[in-house]
Amino acid sequence: MATEHQGLEIDRVTGWRMAPRYALLVVVSVIVLFPVYTTVIASLKPGDKVLDNPLVPDSFTLDVLRNAWERGNLDRYLLNSAVVALVVTFMQVVTAVLSAYAFSFLRFPGRNVIFFAFLATLLIPIEATMVVNLQTIDSLGWKNSYQGLAVPFLATAFGTFLMRQVFLQLPRDMRDAATIDGVGHLGFLRHVAIPLVRPTIGAMALFAFLSTWNMYLWPVLVADEEEWRTVQSGLKQLAAAGIDEPNLIQAGTVIAAIPVAAVLLIFQRQLVRGLTAGAVKG
Amino acid sequence: MVVAFAAVVAAACSSGDPILDAGIDPTTPSPPQTAAPGETLPPTIPATTTTTPFADLPECPVDALGDGDDPVEITYWHGLGGESEEALKDLVAGYHDSQDRVRVRLQNQGGYNETIDKYLQSGADGRPELVLMPEYMLAQMVDSESVVPADVCVNESDFDMSAFLPRVRSAYVTGGVLWGMPFNVSGPVLYFNKKMFREAGLDPNKPPETLEEIRRYSQRLVDSGASGTGIALDSGQDNGGGWFLEQWFAKGKKLYADNANGRSAPATQVLYDDQFGVDLLSQVRKLVDDGLAAHVGANPSGYDSFLKLADPKRPAAMTIGTSAALGTLITTLDGGLVPGITSEQFGVGPMPGPATQPGVLLGGASLYVVADKADEQTAAAWDFVEYAVSAEVQSTWASRTGYVPVRSDAIDLEPLRSTYDDDPRFKVAYDQLNASTEDPSAFGPVIGPLREIRATNSNAVGAILNGGDPAAELKKAASQANRLIRNYNTLNN
Amino acid sequence: MRDAGWQWRDLPTGLVMIAPSALVLGAFLVYPLVKTVSLGRQRCNESATRCVTTGWDQYSDVWRSEEFQQALWVTGKFTLLVVPIGLALGIALAMLADRYLRGIGIFRAIFSSTVATSVAVASLMWFFLLQPDVGVIPNIGWVEDLFGVVKEPGLLRDPGTALTSVAMSSVWAGLGFTFILVTAGLQGIPADLHEAAAIDGAGGFRRFWSVTLPMLGPTLLFVVVVLTSRAFQAYGEIDLLTDGGPDPQQSTTTVTYLVYGDSSVVRSDAGLQATTAVWLFVILLVLAALQLRGFGRRVHYGD
Repeated sequence: MATEHQGLEIDRVTGWRMAPRYALLVVVSVIVLFPVYTTVIASLKPGDKVLDNPLVPDSFTLDVLRNAWERGNLDRYLLNSAVVALVVTFMQVVTAVLSAYAFSFLRFPGRNVIFFAFLATLLIPIEATMVVNLQTIDSLGWKNSYQGLAVPFLATAFGTFLMRQVFLQLPRDMRDAATIDGVGHLGFLRHVAIPLVRPTIGAMALFAFLSTWNMYLWPVLVADEEEWRTVQSGLKQLAAAGIDEPNLIQAGTVIAAIPVAAVLLIFQRQLVRGLTAGAVKG
Repeated sequence: MVVAFAAVVAAACSSGDPILDAGIDPTTPSPPQTAAPGETLPPTIPATTTTTPFADLPECPVDALGDGDDPVEITYWHGLGGESEEALKDLVAGYHDSQDRVRVRLQNQGGYNETIDKYLQSGADGRPELVLMPEYMLAQMVDSESVVPADVCVNESDFDMSAFLPRVRSAYVTGGVLWGMPFNVSGPVLYFNKKMFREAGLDPNKPPETLEEIRRYSQRLVDSGASGTGIALDSGQDNGGGWFLEQWFAKGKKLYADNANGRSAPATQVLYDDQFGVDLLSQVRKLVDDGLAAHVGANPSGYDSFLKLADPKRPAAMTIGTSAALGTLITTLDGGLVPGITSEQFGVGPMPGPATQPGVLLGGASLYVVADKADEQTAAAWDFVEYAVSAEVQSTWASRTGYVPVRSDAIDLEPLRSTYDDDPRFKVAYDQLNASTEDPSAFGPVIGPLREIRATNSNAVGAILNGGDPAAELKKAASQANRLIRNYNTLNN
Repeated sequence: MRDAGWQWRDLPTGLVMIAPSALVLGAFLVYPLVKTVSLGRQRCNESATRCVTTGWDQYSDVWRSEEFQQALWVTGKFTLLVVPIGLALGIALAMLADRYLRGIGIFRAIFSSTVATSVAVASLMWFFLLQPDVGVIPNIGWVEDLFGVVKEPGLLRDPGTALTSVAMSSVWAGLGFTFILVTAGLQGIPADLHEAAAIDGAGGFRRFWSVTLPMLGPTLLFVVVVLTSRAFQAYGEIDLLTDGGPDPQQSTTTVTYLVYGDSSVVRSDAGLQATTAVWLFVILLVLAALQLRGFGRRVHYGD
């Protein structure tokens, strides 16, 4: 054990020595997945079987999922969620990279004060702003539109903070060398800085996507027309629709979670690979 | 660190004053009372006295709906779920088939609470042309000055309301004016498991009618092992924590608020923290203490008390719920959700409670035509209202959902006539509603912040059923309610 | 911080680059906050069409009120459950999976999976896990025999267990986030530090305390700040699981729920709501300042 290297070399020790750790990993995985497991099982059982043996998948049907899909109008909601989440993600990356660059590579007076102000907005609870924001959006005529759903979230202090952290880890001389070579700020960003911090941008984009996808209070407020609802507010709707089939709600839950789970699964590999590639060695 | 911080702050700063007094000097007298408080007032039935001249009210241009080529589109907000929502969708489809001048866009807001919040927070442009608001919103809808009173439209269009149940119409009248058009009327009823009754040697045709009988029946059910517990009770604001309390006061022939339940003049205080209320809730709590009732909490899903009937391990044999749940209950049980229980097994009886006065207060909701819309939209909204409360439509609606029809001629029409004949469970709520008397206490409270008062009571009932002291909790709730009323009257009158 | 002095010629470029972010943050976070602060001196009717200005006293009155103090106490307990447990479990999972074993990717995917669940999704899952009548756990025979409370009255309905149960669903939902961040942090630790410590004869635990934890400092600081502010802003899980109850004492009504909750006494008054929301903001600010100071001394920033 004393020779193990964390995060660098592949541990080639195989066989029985690793069995306890595998066992532990499996046990912990089962615990973590338990709520997901029971929900999926319930969504795949016919309504009249859902109360007996909730832990055992002893009967199978796709009817409940199909029913939830139809009753919940989920296709339109999924489209809305996807558009909003993608736009917000892209714009958050752009705004964060730009401002983080200014906060790390530029040395203009007032920088630290403005950065502190940015950080302070991290603490403003989004719920505290919603009533006033709704008035703003309303006065712009943006209720029930993609603008209304997306614009308030096109920049976050979180993204700026995260990008600044990684920019600060880039060696200072890189920028100096670029300046000597006559490379401008945007050129340096595009050809040097961004490629170096790509893993962090990936991680940040992932979080931006997830948190936008998962928002539900704002979409409920700003989109009160059926065709502008997102998956989360649609789910709330489905849950309110009643108990005549409790697993209908669970089926809706599964459908609402699948796209994100898929994105995460695809992205997870790249994320881990990117992170393990060691990023920048100073 | 967090807790230490909070504890220090709490110890140093707590005043123990209610948050509703914040910014207000509690010693300021409340606004002048328009009437002397309490039961001394003559028992006026305001439905018969017109006090608001129509000239002061928004207009209802019922003829503005031409037979233009483009249908007028209107939006209708509601909060119904389950079988009721399905029935409403079919109702609108039927309306579309019957004419081509108006198109109704149904928008489910996810519940009454959500509908109310969104309506009140929306500006005039954001509001729909039609909104379905529960009965406890009457005072607030009037004070919001955002609706065309149904009476104005009735007058303009010579709409015949003679067949309407008097009880149903009067519920939505203040100052002599009918504000919302009653659409889905419900009442609380007792749901009980006949099979368990039989197993316990109880007569399934004689459900318990008083709280004493509930106790006796429950004891029998539990002792015989027929059910795990007697009755499932919740403390939710639209059920056991709010609505039922109002019902029990009516059944006990007691006023819930002063000024004849707020119907002769705006209410200035609630009256439910008296000995009657304390005795009532002590009796209910004792059922829970003795294991004869199960308290299922604040019932956020609206179905928690019903789920207790389906509990595979320790089911209850009875619960009290809205008659509007009957349609959903039948579809659910026939869908086979609960193994071994069919919908036929469930009986429906009148709401049990103090037996001083027969009948119940009405629940459900009414349709409000929203003001400040284009003339043709207002006319379109009214056109739909007339359709929705016609005898034929109400007959179909009531037989499918368990709601009570708003008019008596609906029960002579198919399909409701057969439903009432074949399945008397549907008729319990109808009969019970029509049994009501003319005493002021038999007309439900009209209080501006009634929704918030119910939420407060829900907390109090929840605390009592979890072991709290009935007198202390009711007193606290009542003083909270009086603050809500005072603040409301200050800001709205 | 970086060396060297300020450079005026960077100013225009800097401002232009900051502008898009500043515009959005200003218009949709700062401006509403300022407006809310001013609204907090008023009492309003339910549609906020009529408000009367009562003055700044409303802030101290709200702070000292029984309901606010109770909510503050509940929030403190909730945070103290969610943050340390969430952090400890996140670190534990990350350490467990920080090995290059065959198939480790699958386990990492599983451990991160809860980021894919929104509050609504996670809460509905837990609701059907804990619901005493039709839920999964209460109907497992031996669980019910051992812990009667899961059935009567139910974990979410017993005033003694409700807050903890909501906190557990919250911890579960936040686990993926913590796991991913700590994992990233672990992989940023230079291997030579571990080697050096190992050569010095430090065992696994010693190395965890003297190398891993300090080097994780910035990550952990960030995670703690985010988890704390999330705990203070928790709304969806309380709304869907307990509605702020059960009584007595509204045992799961946190400050955020007091502001927006369905059963809250202030919800129908935009003025009182604003006052309470501003206090929520102030508390978060103070907490963040305390955390930055407390951690600042112990954290190794590696720069």
